[in-house]
Amino acid sequence: MDTSKTYDVIVIGTGAGGGMAIHTLTAAGLNVCALNAGRELDPAKDFRDHKQPYDVRFRGFDSPARRAQTEGYYMDNEYISPDVWEHEIEYSSAPGQHWYWPRCNSVGGKTNFWGRSSARMGDIDFRAASLDGFDVDWPISYAEIAPFYSRVEKQIGVASTRQNRASNPDGDYLPAFNYRYIDLLLQAGANKVGVPYLPDRTAQLTQSVGDHPACHYCGNCTNGCDVGAFFSTPYFLLPDARKTGRFELRTNALAREVLVDTDGNAKGVAYIDRTTRQEVQVYAKAVVVAASCVSTAHILLNSKSRHHPTGLANSSGQLGKNLCDHMYGDAGHGYLPQLLGRPSFPDNVSAATIAWTPRWQNLNSPHEEKFIRGYSMYPGGGCGEFPSGWEDIEGFGAEYKAEIKRRYPTPVGFTVQAPSQRSDKNFVDIHPDKKDIYGIPQARIHFEWDANTLAMWEHSKITTKRLLLAAGAEYQGHGEPESPGFSLHETGTCRMGNDRHKFVTNRYGQTHDVPNLFLCDASVLLNCTDKTTTLTILALTLRTSEYIVQQFKGGRFSTDGAKPA
Amino acid sequence: MAGQHPTRRQVLEALSAAAIAATAQGFCRWNWAFAQGPPRHTHIAPSAPHRAATYHPVFFTPPQYSAVVALAELILPATAQHRPAVHRVSNPANAGATDAGVAEFIDFMVSQDASLQPRFRTGLQWMDESAGTKDFLTLSSPEQTALLQRIAYKKNFQPNEKPGQDFFVLMRKYTVMGFYTSRIGLESIDYPGLRFYAESPSVPQDAFLHSLGV
Repeated sequence: MDTSKTYDVIVIGTGAGGGMAIHTLTAAGLNVCALNAGRELDPAKDFRDHKQPYDVRFRGFDSPARRAQTEGYYMDNEYISPDVWEHEIEYSSAPGQHWYWPRCNSVGGKTNFWGRSSARMGDIDFRAASLDGFDVDWPISYAEIAPFYSRVEKQIGVASTRQNRASNPDGDYLPAFNYRYIDLLLQAGANKVGVPYLPDRTAQLTQSVGDHPACHYCGNCTNGCDVGAFFSTPYFLLPDARKTGRFELRTNALAREVLVDTDGNAKGVAYIDRTTRQEVQVYAKAVVVAASCVSTAHILLNSKSRHHPTGLANSSGQLGKNLCDHMYGDAGHGYLPQLLGRPSFPDNVSAATIAWTPRWQNLNSPHEEKFIRGYSMYPGGGCGEFPSGWEDIEGFGAEYKAEIKRRYPTPVGFTVQAPSQRSDKNFVDIHPDKKDIYGIPQARIHFEWDANTLAMWEHSKITTKRLLLAAGAEYQGHGEPESPGFSLHETGTCRMGNDRHKFVTNRYGQTHDVPNLFLCDASVLLNCTDKTTTLTILALTLRTSEYIVQQFKGGRFSTDGAKPA
Repeated sequence: MAGQHPTRRQVLEALSAAAIAATAQGFCRWNWAFAQGPPRHTHIAPSAPHRAATYHPVFFTPPQYSAVVALAELILPATAQHRPAVHRVSNPANAGATDAGVAEFIDFMVSQDASLQPRFRTGLQWMDESAGTKDFLTLSSPEQTALLQRIAYKKNFQPNEKPGQDFFVLMRKYTVMGFYTSRIGLESIDYPGLRFYAESPSVPQDAFLHSLGV
């Protein structure tokens, strides 16, 4: 590689944000160097690729060592290569707390395995503070972001239906998945208790899109798709960037800090080459950090200099603050006696979501419930890869075996997706002593669920029980919330806003302090909502990237270092 | 991410509770089911035979292993046994733990997990000690069943037989895990995943659907 070259833009990360930035910038004629902390994946070798349980040593239950390492995290399992998810780089949780942080540092990041739920956010989210008085509004409105949502949906393919709910703006959709027996029964129960039960917005190709083939419904999406029938950056965005000849990808390049020039503007990135353990510096006219919410804050907090003594772009003091996350948990489960003894049905064709119950709380007025804002839930169940009921059925022998088969089509349950609200208690900082194996001071995550989220959790358990009973199910109980970090939906460490004293970036993801530094991931989101983050990351990044292109065309970053406008 | 099948989560949670770091074997792909070229995944691909002609246990002693074989078969027995084995397994719903190689799976899993080893050892010892003047293996088949019933059904529970009751839960869990992750076990429930569907599967408009009233 040419160490003296100055690129137009360095992009840290190749996930949803990084991939979209790379795609948009290279298409516009800019030279991009991408730094990715892990290696490239080969779907034929690294993904599950239709392996059966009996094709792997531990039958999908994983070795005891791996279970301890992954805490049983369901995407990181023995069907895929063991280094696909990050296990080497240590991080810390605050004393007495536990943040479980699944990180995919392979090229494409979590888009290789994501759950694909892709709802648009709406003004009920962007203008939430105006409605209920809590926290602050986003600096953008739905009308501004809607065209970018439309372009992203056409690019990646999202299956759903038009639902005409103001809280869930409709988009440009492929045909929805067909409902299963469990959906029809749960929907009937939901209708009885006043909960909307609708097709999810699922970024999975029910029809081919461009060169991307339609889904074949094998149901192992979260262990990687062998044909690329759902959006991931290695299948959808990086190939186009490569064709431009303006894209250089450096793998195993672990960003340590963003470098600044004598004016305090970004001039490049120092990274550790994980294969040689040597530090390398690379230079550019502008830098995009898209390392994912917590990692982006980590890199910027570690980027201290004379101009930026508390971390880069941190004059507001808000860098690393305002961390939010989705609480996930089993809000209730049971089984549907109507389906006892039925032939098996392919219920698990999307490995995730076919339907969801989008937020229905606090829609008519913002204080109808004992909590503000709202949560959503995802149903699951039916004929999975492993039968259910075997723990509940008493005994053994021929009758036991027959009962397992009889119960096989019947299990159902709901996963809650409840957003935390901004709290001073939840933030990322740098551990004062601990370093990772490359000598980089570790990120330390401070996080506990706020009372509002816990109130949603209680509400979801009560609702789910009522819903399941109304659907005719035998209700069997609920689980406990997963560890914070489990959902992969963390937001808010570098929030965007118009006031440079209160926010890290402006409404374009451009940092207030450093005009040639842009953030393109969920770190700029104001908060979690009842929706997932990826579609909004893609839409905001498309917008930010086009803004960057305009800045280049305007000559602002045309010489070495940035010249602030 | 969103959603996940509750069942596998439950299994993993149950396992995680007992998991401690043991000998790491790393990743081994010993059986590529889809090595053949296109068209791909149009059916459940055949796998290699699930057991060698003669199996030599790696953790259990030969008598312990024989007891595991017997217990697994009692828990998930082959049914329609009057028919020759070759016909019996032609209908996977009739397959039993022995057909699925469950004891070999348990031997492997226990050999890899130090936390499981004392639990299986003492559990099997309990079975022998509770078999009266004999050991478990030399009991007649009805006697074996009767002993298992004492620790499998709440109505039969004796306060001093808690170790046996706990062992039954453990033994049954690993039997279920081994059976329903074997090829024939998955076929026995007609696992419908990992197949090729040309379109999003839909429920037939038939009398059953009508009967659901949805």
